[in-house]
Amino acid sequence: MRVNNTGYLLSAVIVIVLLGGCFFAEQKVKTTPLTGFSAPFVFGQFTTPQDNPLTNEAVALGRRLFYDVRLSGSNKLACSHCHQQKLAFTDGNKGSMGASGKPLAFNAMSLVNLMWGPRHFFWDGRSKSLEEQALMPIEHVDEMDQDLDELIDELKAVESYQTLFAKAYGEINKQNIAKALATFQRTLVSANSKYDQYLAGTATLTDIEEQGRKLFVAHPDVKASLRGGNCIDCHSQFLTGGFNTLYDGFTNNGLDTEDQLLPGLQAVTGKPEHKGLFKVPTLRNIALTAPYMHDGRFDTLEQVMDHYNEGIKTSSTLSPLIVEANNIVDGVRVKPSLNLTEPEKKAIIAFLHTLTDHQFITNKAFSDPFLEEQKQ
Amino acid sequence: MNVKQRLPLMALITVVILVMGIYGLNWYKQNAIKTLTVNFTAVVGDQPLVFNQLNYQNPGGPGLFKVRDFQFYISNIKLISADGEYVEPDSYHLARFDNDTTSYAISLDNIPNRDYQTIEFSIGVDDTANGTLTSKGDLDPNSRMAWSWDVGYKFVLFEGGLAHDNTLYPLVYHVGFDENYRTIVNDLPHAVFENPQASVQFKVDIMKLFNGKADLNMVELPSIKFDKEDTRFLADNYQHMLIGVTDR
Repeated sequence: MRVNNTGYLLSAVIVIVLLGGCFFAEQKVKTTPLTGFSAPFVFGQFTTPQDNPLTNEAVALGRRLFYDVRLSGSNKLACSHCHQQKLAFTDGNKGSMGASGKPLAFNAMSLVNLMWGPRHFFWDGRSKSLEEQALMPIEHVDEMDQDLDELIDELKAVESYQTLFAKAYGEINKQNIAKALATFQRTLVSANSKYDQYLAGTATLTDIEEQGRKLFVAHPDVKASLRGGNCIDCHSQFLTGGFNTLYDGFTNNGLDTEDQLLPGLQAVTGKPEHKGLFKVPTLRNIALTAPYMHDGRFDTLEQVMDHYNEGIKTSSTLSPLIVEANNIVDGVRVKPSLNLTEPEKKAIIAFLHTLTDHQFITNKAFSDPFLEEQKQ
Repeated sequence: MNVKQRLPLMALITVVILVMGIYGLNWYKQNAIKTLTVNFTAVVGDQPLVFNQLNYQNPGGPGLFKVRDFQFYISNIKLISADGEYVEPDSYHLARFDNDTTSYAISLDNIPNRDYQTIEFSIGVDDTANGTLTSKGDLDPNSRMAWSWDVGYKFVLFEGGLAHDNTLYPLVYHVGFDENYRTIVNDLPHAVFENPQASVQFKVDIMKLFNGKADLNMVELPSIKFDKEDTRFLADNYQHMLIGVTDR
């Protein structure tokens, strides 16, 4: 009995120590779940990585890193250089200009509502998570051209970062820099445009905006007398971005002929049917994010409408939805055209302007913390 | 033994009872609760499905067609026995076949142990779910299956191309009015649950989508979306698109 008792006692102690160990390991960094965070239910559910939940501490750190020029090799460029809040986190350039002064081949994407829509990032979908994405521009020679080990040393020398990292994650390392940047970007939710207010029932659209909305969400069908702008075939009705499942959020929207097609998604999947497919961007704040398309080739929304209405170039991977969509019966088609009227094109553009969210571009929670500190 | 000496013993007994309880519950579950995998494998007539290949004969006319995308909703799965039904909760599955095995599987868990005779499910989305914006199962109003929102969801989506007269014509068949919801009832194989990895197999024949009263000629009707008569034609066809491979 005595011996058995000791045995039991010992196992009980081991169990308690093990459990306790797990408990304390989890509790090493005490973080608080992000407060006051919400999104409209029409956006749908969202998830964050299990090892990177939304916490107040991570957001504070991520925001600071996003605006810190230390993240570039020259200590002159922050993420915010190409992702400016007043332009819905784009930079207004055809191709962004970074460390090398050489314009990039691709247009800086708006950073908004990133927890919804395609789960692949960059125009060609080469990154599978925001965490993975975050470090790539930092290291790229034409973008921020920073050596990550140097960056870590630079951050370690700054007292405020010692504290911020300790509170949010613990160590100052690559993974935690990426996690913090990803977390801050996840909080960039735009959900107070006129369209959102209309969806919530607190605003009404004007006649022309409503006409544009109806055209936006309709694939045309002449046989059923339904006119449509065909936008919803690629841009989801509420998020207005690409679809989230697999590669459904990538398409060839007829910008180039076969011989001019860039690899696009094919560079990632290796599949010939993915040649020339690019990520369908969100249209949130689209009136602020000119120029348009992956290479910024169009300066205005009017040019974009003209492209979809009468400028489609055919190639083997062009979406059949674009080729087929037509608002008139015109017999044998020489080339794809939506055949919208001029007032209809204007109506769609009027609707697109209802996607501008002034609260989003002025929200202090997303702004430069260094500027704020200077003011104080 | 004084109280202090008894404490660890009591703690241990509690732990033992808990562990036995958990094991017992598991044992009970294994014997009383069943799982069933429902497999769907897509083919095109007597040919395997290969996406983006002009492999298939226009069902009612000239030319060869290819499939770029093919997806449909399977919803409201029920298992029916003489003494009760199992109804899968939030039962909305978007079946898609763009994978190595051109197949789609649904796992049903926690099925109460009964002698089920029949499996029932529907192609499409019932009018209640089709009329709301709430995400349930694979229903997502921001997905490609949502369309002109007055309508709700596309039930079946087929997109591809037809090569004819040296031209590639786009094919777009989208079906999804409430009236296009179709329920399918199949017998379950005898003693299907005797296998611990119980499963039933269905062949999805995409060609059947176009085989009806008359076979659809893709040259004449390359797209169907909102015309009620045309969508009814496709719905009546897809009612017979799934073929139980293990009918008893």
